[in-house]
Amino acid sequence: MAPNKTSQDLHGFDPEIRQIEQEIVEFFAEKSLEFIGRHPIIATVLTYFDIRRRLTQQDLQNLTGFSAGTISRSVRQLVDMNVITKETIPGTHKHIYRMEKLPFTSARYIFRAEKLFEEMETELKEMKDMLHTHAEEMKDLKGYQKTYTTITKLLELISTMPTFIALIDEEIGKFTKENK
Amino acid sequence: MENSKPRLVEKQLRTVEKRLVNILTNAGYLKGRSRKFSEITAYIYIHQEVTQKILRKLTGYSLGTISTALQILEKQGVVNKYLDPSTREYHYELDGTISQTLFRSLRDTQRYLSQIKEFFRGIEAKLSQPGLSKKKGYENIRQFLGELSALIPAYEQVFQRFQTFVSDVNPKQEV
Repeated sequence: MAPNKTSQDLHGFDPEIRQIEQEIVEFFAEKSLEFIGRHPIIATVLTYFDIRRRLTQQDLQNLTGFSAGTISRSVRQLVDMNVITKETIPGTHKHIYRMEKLPFTSARYIFRAEKLFEEMETELKEMKDMLHTHAEEMKDLKGYQKTYTTITKLLELISTMPTFIALIDEEIGKFTKENK
Repeated sequence: MENSKPRLVEKQLRTVEKRLVNILTNAGYLKGRSRKFSEITAYIYIHQEVTQKILRKLTGYSLGTISTALQILEKQGVVNKYLDPSTREYHYELDGTISQTLFRSLRDTQRYLSQIKEFFRGIEAKLSQPGLSKKKGYENIRQFLGELSALIPAYEQVFQRFQTFVSDVNPKQEV
């Protein structure tokens, strides 16, 4: 289904501006998939939040032409990714979704990433210990070595994440200060 | 009874493998990838070499879904495809180790940032057309462009400094 081009824009965007907006959305939908593997539907919805910041599921349906189910799954994923929040519109049972700041400039987003890496590390260490404990019985089983190697490599990668997050904090912190 | 212990150990190993797949799938999902795509990628990271049939058996997804995911991964340089002449079946192997693949994605992100900058130059030119600045929605686009344009150098610094850090810690990492 194509976006609704004929009816009036929900935020009153001028048709010429709307055209530029659509060009931006299409760029991110295509390039996010190519470079970072992000699903085009998620990239599309995310870019509308980047630009408009506050949207309902109905708004997103009108803007994108995606079905209600697709929009519902997309906003759930973006909430899980911690890039938008869900709020109830006062006096109604309706929800509005809000992007406070662009992802990576938001402390909440960075904090969530930090916590996620900690959880992953704990679980992977527990799994590695288990494989160690049963090494004698498991070592000849198909997949043992590959699973063990993957866990070890992932733990090595995760050990570099505090540095990565500290760099984001530092560099994005400079950006935030400059823009205050 | 004699066979019950080896079977239990095998079951424990499969449980660990499944948990590993779930961790990787969840990490992909939280980067904005689809669960199916993330799960297929997770199995490739672990098995290192697969065929479409193996992936179908492991994930239960349709061959169409698997084929689409493999095409994307091939385009991203995550997997290399080769034909096995004896079975006439394509094999997909992970290009390098999981660490090399993930660190390579940092370079892709930097290329992505360059393309965004270039694309924004074209958008800036369109926005500078006479009379457009007074139109509704202009400020939204302008704000998004302004914020992201200012952020890109910060992101570039992060990736550059992180690559230097990883190279220093582990020179063999081939970042």
